[in-house]
Amino acid sequence: MTGLRARRATSNDAGAVTALQAALAAEHAAVYGYGVAGAQLSGSAQHDALRYWSEHQKARDTLTAMIAAHGATPVAAQAAYDVPFTVHDSGAARRLAARLEDGVARAYLALVAEQSLREYAAKAMQPPAERAAFWRGTTTAFPGFP
Amino acid sequence: MLASSATLLAAAGAATALTGCAGPNPLAGPPPLAHDVREVFGAIAAEEALIDTYNRAIARYSGLSGQLALLLADHRAHLARLRAHIIEPAGHRLAVPPGHGAALPGSGSATMTMLASAERSAASACLRRLGAVPAATAQLFASIAASEATHAQALTSQVPA
Repeated sequence: MTGLRARRATSNDAGAVTALQAALAAEHAAVYGYGVAGAQLSGSAQHDALRYWSEHQKARDTLTAMIAAHGATPVAAQAAYDVPFTVHDSGAARRLAARLEDGVARAYLALVAEQSLREYAAKAMQPPAERAAFWRGTTTAFPGFP
Repeated sequence: MLASSATLLAAAGAATALTGCAGPNPLAGPPPLAHDVREVFGAIAAEEALIDTYNRAIARYSGLSGQLALLLADHRAHLARLRAHIIEPAGHRLAVPPGHGAALPGSGSATMTMLASAERSAASACLRRLGAVPAATAQLFASIAASEATHAQALTSQVPA
């Protein structure tokens, strides 16, 4: 990302970096998980999954740059992730996609606690909340909260 | 002979001036609300207005009640958690008048569009409240804003971007 200059992390940044790393980890998991979900979807649903997979890659790249700008090393994606249940049909794929988005929303909600990142995090949690509602077919009162 | 009320009040003021008392003036009314308390009060009023609008929409357009009732349930949950988030300070009571929500359009489809716009406005208002409140309050506002964004999406049957 142009315009960002890496600087040495300070103790004041430690909380922000930790929360950013958690959000990045969630985005890594979502990128992986959408690959699993997309394989069981077809038609417009698969097209949507592909779009959201791309959105998570962009969000991942943004977080990576933010963490690097704090002078920290961005957490790397794992080679594989445990999927919480067997994804063998489109219904399970949708449930997985909703769960992935819930996880991303939860990570951004945690980031809201960091004053310096509050506005960014609050805006960033809206798309995953919307996508979770889309895949689930219903809204929730408190996205990001357990 | 008993002193008049005005005499007593004047005497209290004079006594204060003579003694240089630095404590709160019991005659001045309740102290102003802290900024974060005002923001929670504002969020409560906003939820009350949305609930009022949804109730009237459901009453007028019964064919929409199935979908609108689910969103209304979310707003009632928002209100309950906001009210639980704060104890109304002494001397400050949040009294939201009935019927203060948005006016309803003349058709069900226009009402859905109006509600979607109201949800987006409410979400934006929540984001504007984030700045100077404690972290836990900010997270509550952010979550409510995200919920309202999902409502706008549901009301317009949009596929997320």
